[in-house]
Amino acid sequence: MPRAAAMTVVAFRLGLLAFVLAVWEIAGRMVNPLLGVPPSAVLPSLRDLLLLRSYPDLPASLLLTVREIATAYLLAVAAGLGCGFMLGMHRLVGQAWGPMLAALYAVPAVVWYPSLMLFFGLDAASKIAFGFLLGFFPIALAVLAGIRQVNPQLVVVARAYGAGTVTVFRRVMLPAMLFTLVGGLRTGLALCVIGVVVGEILGSKAGMGALINHAYGLLRTGDYVALVLVTLVLIVGSDVLASLLERRARGWTE
Amino acid sequence: MKVRILQLVTVIAGLGAWELVARAGWVDPLFVPAPSAVALALLRIGRGALAGLADTLGKTALAYVLSVVLGVSAGVVVGSVRLLRDVLSPYVIALYGIPKILVLPWIVLLLGYGTTPAVFYGVLHGCFPIMVLVMGAVRDVDRTLVTVARSYGATTWQLYWKVLLPAIVPSVLGGMRLGVVFCLLGVLVVEMFAGVRGMGHMLGSYANGFQAPELFAATALVSAASIAIVLVLDHVNDKLSRWRG
Amino acid sequence: MSARPELITIEGVTKRYLTSSGPIEALHDVSLSVDEGAFCTLIGPSGCGKSTLLGMLGGLVTPDQGRLRVEGKPVTGPDPRRVATVFQEAGLFPWRTTLQNVEFGLELQGVPAERRRRTASELLGPLGLSGFAEKYPRELSGGMKQRVAIGRALALDAKILLMDEPFGALDEQTRVLMGEWLLDIWRRTRKTVIFVTHSLHEALFLSTRIAVMTARPGRIKAALDLTMDYPRAMESSEMVALRAKLWSEIREESLRAMR
Repeated sequence: MPRAAAMTVVAFRLGLLAFVLAVWEIAGRMVNPLLGVPPSAVLPSLRDLLLLRSYPDLPASLLLTVREIATAYLLAVAAGLGCGFMLGMHRLVGQAWGPMLAALYAVPAVVWYPSLMLFFGLDAASKIAFGFLLGFFPIALAVLAGIRQVNPQLVVVARAYGAGTVTVFRRVMLPAMLFTLVGGLRTGLALCVIGVVVGEILGSKAGMGALINHAYGLLRTGDYVALVLVTLVLIVGSDVLASLLERRARGWTE
Repeated sequence: MKVRILQLVTVIAGLGAWELVARAGWVDPLFVPAPSAVALALLRIGRGALAGLADTLGKTALAYVLSVVLGVSAGVVVGSVRLLRDVLSPYVIALYGIPKILVLPWIVLLLGYGTTPAVFYGVLHGCFPIMVLVMGAVRDVDRTLVTVARSYGATTWQLYWKVLLPAIVPSVLGGMRLGVVFCLLGVLVVEMFAGVRGMGHMLGSYANGFQAPELFAATALVSAASIAIVLVLDHVNDKLSRWRG
Repeated sequence: MSARPELITIEGVTKRYLTSSGPIEALHDVSLSVDEGAFCTLIGPSGCGKSTLLGMLGGLVTPDQGRLRVEGKPVTGPDPRRVATVFQEAGLFPWRTTLQNVEFGLELQGVPAERRRRTASELLGPLGLSGFAEKYPRELSGGMKQRVAIGRALALDAKILLMDEPFGALDEQTRVLMGEWLLDIWRRTRKTVIFVTHSLHEALFLSTRIAVMTARPGRIKAALDLTMDYPRAMESSEMVALRAKLWSEIREESLRAMR
């Protein structure tokens, strides 16, 4: 797109953002600053939050949430890769259990959460379990899809040249399915993060979600928005990290 | 054929093993009830559960209709006007990617408890995938078809109605398939967080009351309903896509 | 008013385009007139503006200078009652059956369903598509799809048919057969056809007039009138000589376009 047109688009985007913030500011103040939460009320809350004045245990909560995410993700990756490969390598098993897996995916995962809360209680374990559940499916399904789309001709040719199973796997299958696999890993991380955050907000004693609920419960709406922004940074940051790793991985295959 | 047998065997073996494990007392029945206990609980809560399901599905249906209307119209408008599309695309994709759970407390603060926030939140969840898919489909409409229609004297209205809309139907159907699960998800979340009726609320209270068999039964019911809805939509999708092959 | 012998007149048409590397002139001072009932072929190297010229006659492109007239009236936009266009890509709507595709132009004009159906059905025979009325485009071969596209244009019953390399995407053998079929249709319907092609064979086989265009910026370099009877004996000495002449005119332009 020619430069002038591109700059017009950027100008419109910034203008739209400014317009939305202005409307929010005015409307927020007019209606009820407590409910409307105009941007001007958020800034001092954000400052207090980052200076650890309003919630001194912010770093501890943040760390807990991050640890829950990391644990959930590692479990999801391990189980997802394991299941995915098992289903993918054995044709009959894959054909039988694959659709069953996909059918479970059609159920909104949140229905499992009360069961997890019953079993694991309100502690970190239920959040990890829920995050795991959310992240597991896309990874397993991506592994399955990745294996399915490997051209079987390549495997035949490799074996004809005397390659053993491990070599076939490393040099033929893995590069061919890496793209799909990495995409699934990235989606899995995003969903793990969502799972942990949802789990915390729906009921927890510690972590970012608990802080958010606390602020909301006391109608400290400025603090609530500030906490949401911090959590958002965490979420977006993890996805940016994942996309950078995805690009590195893409570089390995080319 | 062999596939079906393996699936059936898996399910039966799984249930059987679960029953044995539960009876042998290897798991605490408070947390993991036996399938037989779950089945009995299903009969017990039957009527109440179905009422709750109907309530949830009712809200979901409303949210779904609104999502489709909103998602398709917004998708068509934004997708077909070049400036709108360029300016708004990053915002739409960003909003799609942000976990909406973060604004849930605020929504409940503004809209209170019950049906309204549930429907609102359901729409919030459901309309984005539809809108994004429709925007992409509008952008990808074959230019030749538009040129042909114009050369045959099509007015702008006729271009939208007879070329654009039929061309994006596959994407709309795909979005609708995604949207229904998202809408149901949104409604259930609000029912768990701030609900007075519905399956989400029911699941939450069974969990709080440590009523494991009832909880499992209700969970199974909602899952079955969700799977059934998706299967029906897939079937409808297939029927309407004859021309695509 | 009785039919004017010059159904189409193009006078002094110029068209410029702005590209990222500066303005380019696609057509420069092009003038041409076409009689009613003629089969006029535009032939020339790639990029000489033949499609742009056709687009102008179809009302989809406006000239920067000059005028185009159809039946004495200036061209201001698509006029499906007078001018029907067939493109290189068949452009069939994949969600419509053959019959529904042929009906398309009539549908846009608000022709009632009963009459549309009849007109379209009657065309299927000559199109060689009897029995394919309910098929979808994905079930048709390339040649069949183009026939449906041509049928769609014929259904409008406009006096003028513009065809932009309609057989360009087909294989050689299908092209030849389609050319024979098109000739038959033209002789029966007596339309005025403006036909764009790269193929000398098609130009010589089909046309009553051949306009050779120069490389960009396009101009009409030469116009040949062909008066031989149909169907033409392509091996006759007259044809062979004509072919040589045509090729010498074109070759120079093709070389220029390649540089």
